[in-house]
Amino acid sequence: MKGILSLASITFKEGIRNRALFGIFIMALLAFALTMIMTSLFMRDIVRVAASLSLTTISFSGLLMIIFIGTSLLAKDIDKRTIYMVISRPLSRAEYCVGKFLGLSYLIGVSIAFLGIISSIPVIISGIGYDNPLAIFNWNVYFIAILFIAMKLLLIASVIIFWSAITSSSFISLILTIAVYIVGSTNEVVRGFLDQKMEGMNITPLMAGVIKFAYYVFPNLSAFDLKLQAANGIPVSAEYFVWTSVYGLVYISIMVSAAALAMTRREFP
Amino acid sequence: MPIIEIKSLSKVFTKDFSNKKIEALKSLTIDISEGEVFGFLGPNGAGKSTAIKLMLNLIRPTSGTLLIDGKPVFQKSVRRLIGYLPENPFFYDHLSAKELLWFGGRTCNMSDALIEQRTTSLLKSLDLFDAMKRPLRSYSKGMVQRAGLALALIHDPKILILDEPMSGLDPMGRKKVFDLILRLKKEGKTVFFSSHILHDIERLCDRAAILINGSLVRLIDVQKDLPSGKTLEEVFFEEVERSGGLRE
Repeated sequence: MKGILSLASITFKEGIRNRALFGIFIMALLAFALTMIMTSLFMRDIVRVAASLSLTTISFSGLLMIIFIGTSLLAKDIDKRTIYMVISRPLSRAEYCVGKFLGLSYLIGVSIAFLGIISSIPVIISGIGYDNPLAIFNWNVYFIAILFIAMKLLLIASVIIFWSAITSSSFISLILTIAVYIVGSTNEVVRGFLDQKMEGMNITPLMAGVIKFAYYVFPNLSAFDLKLQAANGIPVSAEYFVWTSVYGLVYISIMVSAAALAMTRREFP
Repeated sequence: MPIIEIKSLSKVFTKDFSNKKIEALKSLTIDISEGEVFGFLGPNGAGKSTAIKLMLNLIRPTSGTLLIDGKPVFQKSVRRLIGYLPENPFFYDHLSAKELLWFGGRTCNMSDALIEQRTTSLLKSLDLFDAMKRPLRSYSKGMVQRAGLALALIHDPKILILDEPMSGLDPMGRKKVFDLILRLKKEGKTVFFSSHILHDIERLCDRAAILINGSLVRLIDVQKDLPSGKTLEEVFFEEVERSGGLRE
């Protein structure tokens, strides 16, 4: 366990000191400032707009962080042969995958907590000067939405670990992860079209099979998007919270286990 | 009992698309005793790094056995006994040497106090003490090589496996590594290292193996077996010529 935690610790340190992360944070802070300016142009629903824009900023910044820094922390280990330094220690390949995932999770947790706290500033400030601006706003739902963004990023991190374990190029890992993100963000909508069987839609059985396959194999990332609920103060049911969390954790476990299995079988010539 | 036992070890690589097979190591058999300094010689592509990677379980043998301290190398506990310096080591850019050694010590279950003590003495002896908090990306090639050596030594291993430890070092850096290997020899450590610098091997090693095109062509007791008046370098060139040069 000491080995896993020490690998997680150096992965976190390597990630948090990456200059790209500072760039992403600065971009996020500018976006929060822009949110305050933009909401001043609205006459009503100011807090709703501020909350929605702030959550979008967190989600987008987190995505950039996980895609670019996550890939550099994992796939480049293999690209640049830094992995020799790690797996020549008394660490198993499975421990390597778990340690890397934990380090990345720690990085996501700290970064999203930081952005989440800062994001509440434009929400509070944009309502100043209006009567009871937070009337329909629910901070609990807002912070649950941030928690779900973090969970979505953890899920993408597990996908990066999986691709890094089976490919030998950080660029291929990056492309495949982006592909999974795009499919994962849209598969629920596409499945919704399929289920509605709208008039004029001509979907072949093969296409329907492909859509169903993608729906079950790729992660359903839209389940973690609670922007609408957070902006409108719609409470999230305990059932939804628990089952979505369980879904995320199971998917992450499957991805990290598959990565560990692939790593165990892999050679590093 | 030898501390490293290599029996009929072979490794065949298959190219991804062409399915072409490359025999990188052919039935290598060597036993290395505890406390021995063993040199591994050979031109580029001879199979030296392949043999070293097999010892570290970075790659797996096609056939043959490889035991370290009587245990198969795929057991992770074996790597507690080994300190490894890869050829051209790459480390995490933003970590410092101190953090790198902390990681190395923790993976071997060392206490923080012991890691601190070993880090200080190793970095002082390798002239890195003043730079220990600087990020590794700001290090010169020689400093990176020495940081790699410190990482290999942090847990005081019984066996050192060093792949080209002198490569890219200036004369002062080479002397430091040379003195370090001498000191390890005096401490009774087993040192297995590959190098192109034959003069260093001749001065440091008890025995040396010459590997050409994946085959062991000669095993020499450096202190006894060298033909009179001949240097290891001359013997090496003779063996290369005798085996018909290098394959493509």
